[in-house]
Amino acid sequence: MIAEGLIERSLNHLLRQSPGAAESLVRHAGARVRFDLTLAQFDFRIADDGCFSEAVVDVPDAVIRPTPALLARLPFFGRDSLRHADYSGDPALLATLDRVFKQLAWDVEADLAPLVGDIAAHRLHALGRDALAGFAHTFSAIGHNASEYLVEEAEVMARGVDVTRFNRDVDTLADDVARLEARLNRLQARLPENAGE
Amino acid sequence: MDKTTHFGFKQVAESEKAAKVAEVFHSVAAQYDIMNDLMSVGLHRLWKRFTVAQAGLRPGMKVLDVAGGTADLTRLFLKEVGETGTVLLTDINFSMLREGRDRMLNEGKTPPAVQCDGERLPFPDNHFDCVSVAFGLRNMTHKDQALAEMHRVLKPGGRLLVLEFSKVWKPLEPAYDLYSFKLLPLMGKLVAKDAASYQYLAESIRMHPGQEELKAMMETAGFAKVSYHNLTAGVVALHKGFKV
Repeated sequence: MIAEGLIERSLNHLLRQSPGAAESLVRHAGARVRFDLTLAQFDFRIADDGCFSEAVVDVPDAVIRPTPALLARLPFFGRDSLRHADYSGDPALLATLDRVFKQLAWDVEADLAPLVGDIAAHRLHALGRDALAGFAHTFSAIGHNASEYLVEEAEVMARGVDVTRFNRDVDTLADDVARLEARLNRLQARLPENAGE
Repeated sequence: MDKTTHFGFKQVAESEKAAKVAEVFHSVAAQYDIMNDLMSVGLHRLWKRFTVAQAGLRPGMKVLDVAGGTADLTRLFLKEVGETGTVLLTDINFSMLREGRDRMLNEGKTPPAVQCDGERLPFPDNHFDCVSVAFGLRNMTHKDQALAEMHRVLKPGGRLLVLEFSKVWKPLEPAYDLYSFKLLPLMGKLVAKDAASYQYLAESIRMHPGQEELKAMMETAGFAKVSYHNLTAGVVALHKGFKV
């Protein structure tokens, strides 16, 4: 209950902050959208103004299932991770939702300004943005170093390029074997029946 | 013989309850807000903000605040629905409604204020996007009828929010009882010069249906997807239901 109310409020807040986002959804007014998180389902109806409204939904027009990959990537990759969600339902509605979700942008500074004033909001936002960027950079560098150690130093993992080359070689070998087998069969068929005796 | 109902822990004729409740609220109206802050240590403001956050309001929507009294929720709703929306403040008690209306006027806002009975709402069917009743349902004689009326005036897809005292978490009951039956009447006596009304408040809370019972009542009245959330360990619960 809280979650549904909070999702509704947050989504609508983002829609209002992102120019054109709610307007894009107006043509789907009345459509029912379900966010299926396996453990919980959150149902919404698209209202006449293009915002989401919590609703009772029996059969949704579109279902969005955020996968574990999406949830893991969301804090670091933001909107880019949305492509990892599973979508099903009305293709036109899904295409609009995909486009709208990708254009949602949270104007943190605008939300902070009424609380702490414009200047403090600007500085807090910049501070938060730099901290997040620093965190993402550190996380990425640690990951890069760890993978480099595992691949280059410890040699317990293969490099992606080597795996690709190996897969390509396996495919080539499989093709060669298949060709050879076909050739042998053809030669076998040409031999007189008692040639081998 | 008239049917009886509870008025706090007492049994009174159904026809008498509304008048007795009216007496209570006429008596406390002037000190209502300050007593709310004192009794809840300001928590009632958070409970009401939480209620508004769950209302899903957007500019242009129509809201009915039943038993809105001193207009705490109305003021918050007005911010959400903006200039294009409507918030109707209603209360059966003129003293409370006057407090709410005057408070709004002092803030330069003029939402319509209507004195009416929550059990017989003078509004058309399917009219409001959201109906709220905060700390009011407890005082109504026929709660089922009031819920049915709120269901009637809601648009399909609209939601009802009921913010009301409820059953507190069991381990806290002894402390809560001590507070309700000893401290509350004393505070009422000292601040509002009316201990009896605050004794009624404590008793009426105990007589009000618990979380699950109220949920069942809302479902019986026709609401779908009814859910509730306990606030402050169940001292208060917010119930939410939708008209389909």
